[in-house]
Amino acid sequence: MQVVSLRSDAHAESEPLSGRKPASAMIEIDHVSQRFQTSGKQSHLALSDINLTIEDGAFVSILGPSGCGKSTLLYIVGGFVQPTDGVAKVKGKAITGPGPDRGPVFQEFALFPWKNVLGNVMYGMRQQGMKKSEADARGRKLLEMVGLKGYENFYPKELSGGMKQRVAIARTLAYDPAVLLMDEPFGALDAHTRTRLQNDLLDIWDTQRKTVLFVTHSVEEAVYLSDKVIVMSRSPGSIKEIVDIDLPRPRKRADLLLDARFQKYIVDIEKMIDDGKDHL
Amino acid sequence: MTVRGVLKTLSPLFACIGLLCVWQIASLRLDTESFPTALESIKAIPSILGDKGSLLNILDSIRRMTIGLVLAVMFAIPLGLLMGRIKAVAAFFNPLMMIIYPVPKAALMPIIMLWMGVGDVSKILVIFLGVSLPIIYHAFQGSKAVEEKMLWSGAAMGMSAPMRMLRIVLPAALPEILTGCRTGLVLALITMITSEMIARQSGAGNILFNSLDMAQYDTVFAMILIIGAMGIIFDAAFEKLRLSLVRWSQPRDDMPLSFT
Amino acid sequence: MNQERINSVLLGITPIVLFIALWQSLISFGFAPTSLLPPPGAVFGKLAKDFFNGDFLHDIAATLIRLFAGFGIAVVVGVFIGLAAAVSPAVNAVVKPLVRVLAPIPKIALYPALLLILGFDHASKITLVTADALFPILLSTYYGASMVEQKLIWSAMAAGTPRWQILFKVVLPAAMPSILTGCRIGLVISCIVVFLAEMITSTDGLGHMLVQAARTFQTVDMFVPLIMISMLGLILNSLLHWLRSYLLRGFPEV
Repeated sequence: MQVVSLRSDAHAESEPLSGRKPASAMIEIDHVSQRFQTSGKQSHLALSDINLTIEDGAFVSILGPSGCGKSTLLYIVGGFVQPTDGVAKVKGKAITGPGPDRGPVFQEFALFPWKNVLGNVMYGMRQQGMKKSEADARGRKLLEMVGLKGYENFYPKELSGGMKQRVAIARTLAYDPAVLLMDEPFGALDAHTRTRLQNDLLDIWDTQRKTVLFVTHSVEEAVYLSDKVIVMSRSPGSIKEIVDIDLPRPRKRADLLLDARFQKYIVDIEKMIDDGKDHL
Repeated sequence: MTVRGVLKTLSPLFACIGLLCVWQIASLRLDTESFPTALESIKAIPSILGDKGSLLNILDSIRRMTIGLVLAVMFAIPLGLLMGRIKAVAAFFNPLMMIIYPVPKAALMPIIMLWMGVGDVSKILVIFLGVSLPIIYHAFQGSKAVEEKMLWSGAAMGMSAPMRMLRIVLPAALPEILTGCRTGLVLALITMITSEMIARQSGAGNILFNSLDMAQYDTVFAMILIIGAMGIIFDAAFEKLRLSLVRWSQPRDDMPLSFT
Repeated sequence: MNQERINSVLLGITPIVLFIALWQSLISFGFAPTSLLPPPGAVFGKLAKDFFNGDFLHDIAATLIRLFAGFGIAVVVGVFIGLAAAVSPAVNAVVKPLVRVLAPIPKIALYPALLLILGFDHASKITLVTADALFPILLSTYYGASMVEQKLIWSAMAAGTPRWQILFKVVLPAAMPSILTGCRIGLVISCIVVFLAEMITSTDGLGHMLVQAARTFQTVDMFVPLIMISMLGLILNSLLHWLRSYLLRGFPEV
């Protein structure tokens, strides 16, 4: 079974590095490099000649050691960082800045502390010009969906880390982006909360089928969630390998943990990352 | 050093020159006797500093300021540190401080003069009072913020309570204390000038107002330049000292935001 | 918990009570003649009586007008320049060296110059208050605004906020805790400076009242304005505190 064929209308064809552009490409990254000026005249090549195509509706994880530029790649797609070289495109158009078609979810939650939970969720909708009553109703519905009914008037400081991240996800889903950009979203959470949020994220993705670009350093998380895992190596940050995760959906963590294929994916990818240590 | 670096270190100098230029143009424009140009005022500086009486007056001011400041530091830092670590001490002193804070200490000058005369003691006492509060406040904040676990590790190593205060709380609170001292230094200068302006006996503040009364306008403005320069020099010197003492502390990040 | 609060309040009142008791006993036991140190009862009695005195109320009003005008201008100008310096590298390059030169100058020394240029009326005193309150507000706005978490800004931009709106919708509210801290410092400084300016040259205001009393050795009248300015400071401070806890209700650790 091909990964991208999870969607009934998607092509079974998935060879993103072949240079052939699939019909339903959502994100295209074309010879992107990123160089950062460090102190003085020195500079550091964070990303070197990245080429990547991500299809509409795919769940793709970017995995790699810290400092491999995986977050930078995500920020380039978000339009927060301009690449030094190359072009990143979304729906065929070059990315020039942030836009509501690409919604970020950060590890640090980045909720507005001066707004309550509902106010945070409504922000993007109001910014898109939605009427207040409409945004209010939709915001409440979204909060119910992420399991936070009854917390509308709480302030972020009154919530636990897991709840904050649920609010952040609802805030981003609220303006209905085509792409979710998730930057180690569950990295700051304890193991139990993390598992629950992973499951909830899969449920949401199942119903909404947004394209998800998910940065993580947990191999298990990447394999569990994704259709495709992009393994990166560092110095300079580059794509080492792209692994298609051919596991049936809907996935159940308890079943997968005993699944030999799941275990093999994890072991294989961990070996790839281990090899990367030679670069140090 | 790069050209940019040189420009950056010299930028306060450019700022000074720019301000003096603005002054020069403004006074030429207004053209009144009571607002001399920057150049005239600068020319008047040597005659003040060259005059033995004036110079002694100014040095006397600085001496009193230093004594008041040193006494305040010796009194305020231990008190602030204790307040930060012992709740009862903080509860005892906080309301008193809240009441005293908005009272201008230099305004006590007439009353203190009534009790203690116009000598050094009154002036030093006023400076001491003026400087103590911000240093107490910052030492209090700094010592309150010290990580409890650092003190636990200290206790586990067998440090006694006074030892922990000296070896853990004091250094950990040092960046905050030094911020307080910097405020205190500027305040000491302000209190000194003001109390001399009010007492009108001697010192830099007295020269300033006497020349105002006698309509020696270039002396007024020259004195302002001298006092201003004192403020800038003391502050810069203290900042150097501060940086060398708390090199380990995270410097304040002042990069412009990147959304423009 | 409640008991703890009561205890800490009692503990806090103790030094104030002790202070007044010491003050009274100095007189009662004859250590200080009433001509030098009037008894606390006389001072507070005079203060209470003065509240029905038109001249006294006029003095308070004069002081408050100068205080609010100077402080208000300092808040507007300080927040504006502070935000601009945090946001624009060009403004930053100009403002930073100017602030480094101007902030440590004892502003009270400029007062004679202000008198000569602006005259002996309100304008010179208001300008002095503004000059003194400006820098703490400007600096804390600047630091608050430059420390705004980048990802807050990114989140707002991704949600479709235009760049020019980011300043008011994200940077200003996010910097609010720091701005209000600066305002609190600026307010105390304003109280102090307005009083001093009135002491040095004025025809009305609380500071003038003190100097007037000192010239005629009316010791009771010397204490009244001092206690009044302390009370004003306390009241204004608690108003600001109340405003702060309302505006920052969502922020952690207020």
